[in-house]
Amino acid sequence: MSGVTTERPWEELTLSEAEYRRAGTRYRNRRSLRAYLFIVPYLLPFLAFLVVPTVWSIWLSFNQGGILDTAKYVGLDNWRAISSDTELTGAIKNTALYVVEAILLVFTLALFLALLLNRYRKGSNFFKLALYVPLLAPAVLVGLIWQFLTNYDFGLVNLLLNALGLDRLNILGSGTLALLTIVLAEVWRGLGFWTLYFLASLQNIPEELQDAARVDGARGLQRFRRVTLPLLRPMLLFAVVIAIIANFQVFDTVYVLTQGGPHESTSTLVWFIWKKMFQFQETGQAYAAAVLLLGIILVLTAISFWLLGARQKRVT
Amino acid sequence: MPEPATTVADPDGFSASAAEFERAARRHKLVRYGKGLAAYIVLAVFAVIAIGPFLYLLSPSFRESFELFSYPPQWIPDSFYTGNFATILNDTSYLRWGLNTMIFATAVTLITLVIDTLAGYAFARLRFPGRTALFVLILATLMIPTAVLIAPLYIMVSNLPAWTHSGVNTYPAMIIPMVASPLGVFMMRQFISTLPEALVEAARLDGASEWQIFRKIVLPLMKPAIVVLGIFTFMFQWVNFLWPLVITTTDNMKTLTVGVASLQGQFVTDWGVISAAAVMTMVPVIAIFLIFQRWFVQASMAGALKQ
Repeated sequence: MSGVTTERPWEELTLSEAEYRRAGTRYRNRRSLRAYLFIVPYLLPFLAFLVVPTVWSIWLSFNQGGILDTAKYVGLDNWRAISSDTELTGAIKNTALYVVEAILLVFTLALFLALLLNRYRKGSNFFKLALYVPLLAPAVLVGLIWQFLTNYDFGLVNLLLNALGLDRLNILGSGTLALLTIVLAEVWRGLGFWTLYFLASLQNIPEELQDAARVDGARGLQRFRRVTLPLLRPMLLFAVVIAIIANFQVFDTVYVLTQGGPHESTSTLVWFIWKKMFQFQETGQAYAAAVLLLGIILVLTAISFWLLGARQKRVT
Repeated sequence: MPEPATTVADPDGFSASAAEFERAARRHKLVRYGKGLAAYIVLAVFAVIAIGPFLYLLSPSFRESFELFSYPPQWIPDSFYTGNFATILNDTSYLRWGLNTMIFATAVTLITLVIDTLAGYAFARLRFPGRTALFVLILATLMIPTAVLIAPLYIMVSNLPAWTHSGVNTYPAMIIPMVASPLGVFMMRQFISTLPEALVEAARLDGASEWQIFRKIVLPLMKPAIVVLGIFTFMFQWVNFLWPLVITTTDNMKTLTVGVASLQGQFVTDWGVISAAAVMTMVPVIAIFLIFQRWFVQASMAGALKQ
């Protein structure tokens, strides 16, 4: 765009250099304006319902009230209050435990199933569809299903235990088992999605590389570790980031299965925020916790990029 | 997964009689079949784990609740009791919730498709100052948890002046804030970037306006991406829980997710009724899923391919 050339190729247009430049600017302005017209329909809701609320939340974390009354500036009070709140520390611990368990479990299983589906293609469509079905269930249904599995009186697990002559377990009434139930429920729900995700990633890996490794005498597991896994790394990075962002916000299953109980042992970060906001009307503290959650997600995303992204550069 | 060394006869040192060779080949085949069988058994087990619970729910929905506690438990009831379904249809606003969910998910999907396609095209193919910065900002908002947005959104919506008819418990209030999700813009931009630029250039040289280029050239090519994004958005909103939970307070504005969850409080121990509601919620979804199955699977695969 920048060149009014010395050869003056536009001489027949008889524009002076200044006129030419002005025309160029006018053209570029009009072009930008048209481009803005394309993005404005998205940009308006984006700013109004995403950017403004986020900034607002950060601001309100330094205030008290704000939902039904006007906000009152209280400085760092909310932050001080939540930093000494043992329930929040518990909630962070539970969430972290949940995220680690859920991601490790669902990724391992999904990768394993994807490898199988990639190797055995006959009839794989049926299995893909079957694995996908839990994804269609709203959280309430997931909660209900897991009630039917874990209920003390008529849950399947307890019926089986009973049939085997063992004692029944009060699954949702015990801290560790309740959290484990939530992990399993989310793994059950997400497995289909991640299996298909990894399957697509696997099918992106050129067949020749596998063949080359095979000819060089690499056994199955070796091939997986030395060829498949390194090539999956960029996909894995994206998956880890998405999974962290999604799983740190676990709420639905907690809401329908345990309501944070027993004794706050399944209280997660978003559950804590929800409770502060709508049960205790401690809105300021709820905002502070929400901003904290945002911070945690930002840091973890950065760490994932640093760990998985850097390694990828070294390999290629 | 080949077994090394059995089938390839080394021309020099290795010599096997025809019988030995055949035996080795048979062994190899057997191992391969064994592995295949094991793989399919594993897959079948996971398929049962995925679908089984839904079938398991069918049983209590056709039984009276007290039968659940009978011993020994029986999965197939002696007689089919349909009272649970009647209770739901007569004593709850179930059909209204279904309608609300339909309106909510469809409207969010349609609006999202229009504005995300437009924005995606601009970010992929048009030039304007601030393009990169704006796109990075949009991508960064992927990280913002819903919990951060909920309360400010609630305040905004509940303070809207009455003439807008869009306060709490209205469709616009439910729908419009949900169209701001950044994922679709990202998907659309990635997809349009893969389309050959020459097409757009040629049309531009022929004197087509940007709108004509978009409408006549880009849009028809985007059909697969639009279907995928549409299914994604619809599904996501169909199961959306937190926002409808916050923004609806009256019974007849609830969505299915929120409504069925409220049954759990209302019919505390009536598991039969709750299961019947669950079955009724899943049947239409599974029907839609089976009709569009090809696209559903493609939708999740597309996430990985469009990097």
